[in-house]
Amino acid sequence: MTDPVLALSNVSRSFGPIEVLHGVSMALRPGRVHALIGENGAGKSTTMKIMAGYQPPSSGTVHVDGRETAFASLGEAEALGISLIHQEFNLAEQLTAEQNIFLGQELKRGLLLDKRAMRARTRELLDRLDCRVPADRVVSQMSNSDKQMVEIAKALLRDTRVLIMDEPTAVLTKSETAVLMRQVRALRDKGTAVLFTSHKLDEVREIADDLTIMRDGAVVFSGPAEGMDERAMATAMVGREMSDLFPAKTGRFGDMALEVRGLTVPGFAEDISFTLRRGEILGIAGLIGSGRTETFEGLCGLRPATGEVRIKGQPVTIRHPWEALDLGMCYLTEDRKTRGLLLQKGMRENLTLQALHSFARGLIDKGAEETALTRAIAEFDIRGSRAVRVGNLSGGNQQKLLFAKTMLSSPEIVIIDEPTRGIDIGTKQQMYGFIRGLADQGRAIVVISSEMQEVIGLADRVLVMRQGRIAGEVQGASLTEDAIVQLAMGVGQRAPVLETAQ
Amino acid sequence: MKHLVSGLALSVALAVPALAQDTKVIGVSIPAATHGWAGGMNYFAQAAIDRLEEAYPELDFVLATASDPGKQVNDIEDMVATRNIDALVVLPFESEPLTGPVQNVKASGAWITVVDRGLSVPGIEDLYVAGDNPGFGRVSGEYMASAMPDGGKIVVLRGIPTTIDNERVEGFEAAIEGKNIEVIGMEHGNWNRDDSFTVMQDFLSRHPQIDAVWASDDDMAVGVLAAIEAAGRDDVKFVLGGAGMKEMVKRVMDGDTMIPANVTYPPSMIATAIEITAVGLVSQAPVSGNFIIGSVLVTPENAETFYYPDSPF
Amino acid sequence: MTVKPQARPKVSMSVIGPIAALIALIVMGALMNPNFLGPDNISNVLSRSAFIGIIAVGMTFVITAGGLDLSVGSMAAFVAGLMILVMNAALPSLGIGVPIILLGMATALVAGLIAGWLNGFLITVLGIEAFIVTLGSMGIYRSLVTWLADGGTLSLDFGLRTFYQPVFYGGILGISWPIIVFAVVVILGEIAMRSSVFGRHCAAIGSNDQVAKYSSVRVGRVRMATYVMLGLLVGVATIMYVPRLGSASSSTGVLWELEAIAAVIIGGTLLKGGFGRVWGTVIGVLILTLIGNILNLTDFVSPYLNGAIQGLIIVLAVVLQRESKPGA
Repeated sequence: MTDPVLALSNVSRSFGPIEVLHGVSMALRPGRVHALIGENGAGKSTTMKIMAGYQPPSSGTVHVDGRETAFASLGEAEALGISLIHQEFNLAEQLTAEQNIFLGQELKRGLLLDKRAMRARTRELLDRLDCRVPADRVVSQMSNSDKQMVEIAKALLRDTRVLIMDEPTAVLTKSETAVLMRQVRALRDKGTAVLFTSHKLDEVREIADDLTIMRDGAVVFSGPAEGMDERAMATAMVGREMSDLFPAKTGRFGDMALEVRGLTVPGFAEDISFTLRRGEILGIAGLIGSGRTETFEGLCGLRPATGEVRIKGQPVTIRHPWEALDLGMCYLTEDRKTRGLLLQKGMRENLTLQALHSFARGLIDKGAEETALTRAIAEFDIRGSRAVRVGNLSGGNQQKLLFAKTMLSSPEIVIIDEPTRGIDIGTKQQMYGFIRGLADQGRAIVVISSEMQEVIGLADRVLVMRQGRIAGEVQGASLTEDAIVQLAMGVGQRAPVLETAQ
Repeated sequence: MKHLVSGLALSVALAVPALAQDTKVIGVSIPAATHGWAGGMNYFAQAAIDRLEEAYPELDFVLATASDPGKQVNDIEDMVATRNIDALVVLPFESEPLTGPVQNVKASGAWITVVDRGLSVPGIEDLYVAGDNPGFGRVSGEYMASAMPDGGKIVVLRGIPTTIDNERVEGFEAAIEGKNIEVIGMEHGNWNRDDSFTVMQDFLSRHPQIDAVWASDDDMAVGVLAAIEAAGRDDVKFVLGGAGMKEMVKRVMDGDTMIPANVTYPPSMIATAIEITAVGLVSQAPVSGNFIIGSVLVTPENAETFYYPDSPF
Repeated sequence: MTVKPQARPKVSMSVIGPIAALIALIVMGALMNPNFLGPDNISNVLSRSAFIGIIAVGMTFVITAGGLDLSVGSMAAFVAGLMILVMNAALPSLGIGVPIILLGMATALVAGLIAGWLNGFLITVLGIEAFIVTLGSMGIYRSLVTWLADGGTLSLDFGLRTFYQPVFYGGILGISWPIIVFAVVVILGEIAMRSSVFGRHCAAIGSNDQVAKYSSVRVGRVRMATYVMLGLLVGVATIMYVPRLGSASSSTGVLWELEAIAAVIIGGTLLKGGFGRVWGTVIGVLILTLIGNILNLTDFVSPYLNGAIQGLIIVLAVVLQRESKPGA
């Protein structure tokens, strides 16, 4: 085996009095893909930041090419060929792909920018990544996968020897993931050392050469990935045997809760019709961009929509989200950081925001709010200090808090968009339990998800959307990944990208 | 046929300037009504224009009010470019920034009348109509000295820091020199009622004995009087304002002991300037030169001749 | 859960900063002039603060909800002018007495309410930038008052003014009405900001209006309410202002909007919205008024430099609030 290009040796890191990393040792080798996995808050992000020179270790050493190194600045790590790609991209949204890729390293001819050379180089880099996005497209108008590619192109331009990616696939669809994986393999074959984190263990098993598993700030496994299956990984991460991920389906439904006929959200979805019973979990599958999110935002008055809606048999008109809430229907956003939670505020303010009126008799009863928070923390197993800003909570705890916030106004019909995006497997299992629990209480649930396993494992019945319309419905024995994919991609044709991903 | 059409167009084109030559255009550029005196000046300018347009059908007027020197420069440039003015009556916001643009108007051959504030280069204007700022201060100072023969302590409220204000204060200080009058406080009230009220309140807190106030402006005198009244102080014998605001002239006329006198600085000087310019354009009468309107002391005896109840000022 | 930020200190700099600046100013004033802490001067300073203060309380809510209103100074001048015109016009029929004063007050409140509603309508319903809308209405109200006054000054009838004057100069137990009204507005404002659904919604909208929308908060209505409330408070301030000098002109209320905004920011409310505190705004207003007061009471600085001193202290008061950031 080759010598490590970047290694941590017995690295610890403390924030104030709290030590969050305990003696971490791991090594990245050229031409190998290294996966770093662990539950939310296990210390993955801190480890990566130390590797990329964003933070110094409190004790222990970082070795580059076998030499002990202390990065004085980000630029120093970058100069040594180490790049970190954040989960929330580090791109200037209003600049183009080309401007972002060359940001801080602009090519010049005399005093002026050499735009032609930069454009050509950008095209070349993006082509290498199979990315069709035009070099002059503004980043804010790109899909997440294109943004990812721009980030990687940016790293390629800087002659990166070590590429560190924080959950690169969390926001990608399956086909986009396949493209990314192909690029990662290509980089590896050229001798780049790649480190990435992911909560998707099948991906890890598929691509990782080496594997490091962390739990509670310490490394519990570090070595070749061979022989580690998903179950073994999950067990090591969680520290206990993983029982079945999904709770059992009961199949006991109650009265009709929601009937939708001919719902149209201009520009996104057309002629959507479906029904939902109490106690039922309806899954919504489809590719990103198929209009899933917009359909249900339209249903809940978050965007303009037309169509016939009946709740408990009564025809209703919903033009604003609060009208939906008054009718007992609530949409839980997929975008918890920019639409779900006030990141600058504490847990209490976030928890009660939607149901604030029930805590106020003239003035807000802060005591009652605290009591509600205590109850929510216990009920949904939210971990973290109550005084901390919500933006500092881990993704899983944010998601639990968002869930608790929604449930505080006791909706009868709950629409949950991407309930487990970017959260670890232990928390996922908890979320699935909560959702099934709500259905068992007689509530009607809609789960929108890009994760095929999740839809299949959780839903009683699945609607598949394609290009703004319902492409079909699957349930019971026919509820298989294959059936969903066929409907999502258009009947009869299998997606070529999916085949390469097998 | 084609020739005929173009010939027609040509004669029409020629006819327009020919017509324009018959009517003469006078541009009037003044600061906007941001305080009482300027408001009065705007009123008199508009009134003079209305009257003159009626009296001389061959004259056309363009009035523009500006809230800052830059806007005033734009106004003047627009007048030259779009209205082809024959004469410009200008009350410059500030001397320096307006000198160049007015010089350009002069170069285009137009008649220039400058009002109140001189330009920084002499000789541009054909006619200069102005109040007498050092005289305004001197008359005020002389009145102060005569009203307090045994001397006393006074406070002074100044206007917005400008040349006008400096000239007035210098004239005032020269007039009271050696007269045993002690100026115990001097602050800017910015020719503004609210500011002068605040400044006077603080003067009253600071000085237990104030014999008289030179408010130097009638708007400021309003604020000063309100502050004295609110504090219930009877040590202040009188307040001397200035500029001849109708309410103040009325009080002088009625023999109010707090307002025993006033000093004129008539905003109607703009009307004088417009009128003389108009006469210069339509007749052969020689009107170039300097026209200085002196500051006069208004006392109960002569107050009636300075009282214009219809003016907004 | 491993990454825990350090517990925030019990009393943060953002709380101490403005209070420290205020105390420093008071000590400075007291050392420079013995009359500074006299009851007359204190009363002067407080009633002087009342106009801007009452407006600034409303501004605190607007800014907390992520908005801005540049039109309040012009609006105050316009409302004052309208109020004087209405009262003068009603004088022959109503005569001098309580009814005409009530009519004037009602005019001010209704005019303020409508003016605020118009700003709110353009901003929340038509979705135009608050900066542009209120910059526009600032010019409109300023012109309107100049026009109403024919370029000069609108003055309340002398007899009427004498009758109305106690609203500014009078009071209870030696405390003048403007101070009492200011105090009441501040107390109500502080409670509303701290403990009402409205205040909490303002902060939520200011920190992220998308989150507020997805949490079923009526974003448009809350925003609208902040502007309407500010307009109403401009009306209240005008009711106190008019009896002082009995006049309004185009120079009334010039730069009040900037003083109000400065007071709000000095007090620790975030200019970008999301967090506001009314008590801080009060401190901000007092700091601004005290600077002018102290400069008038002393001869230390050339009056030409008053603006510089004011600017310096505003910047200092905000610098003092900075929390020391962890190493970048």
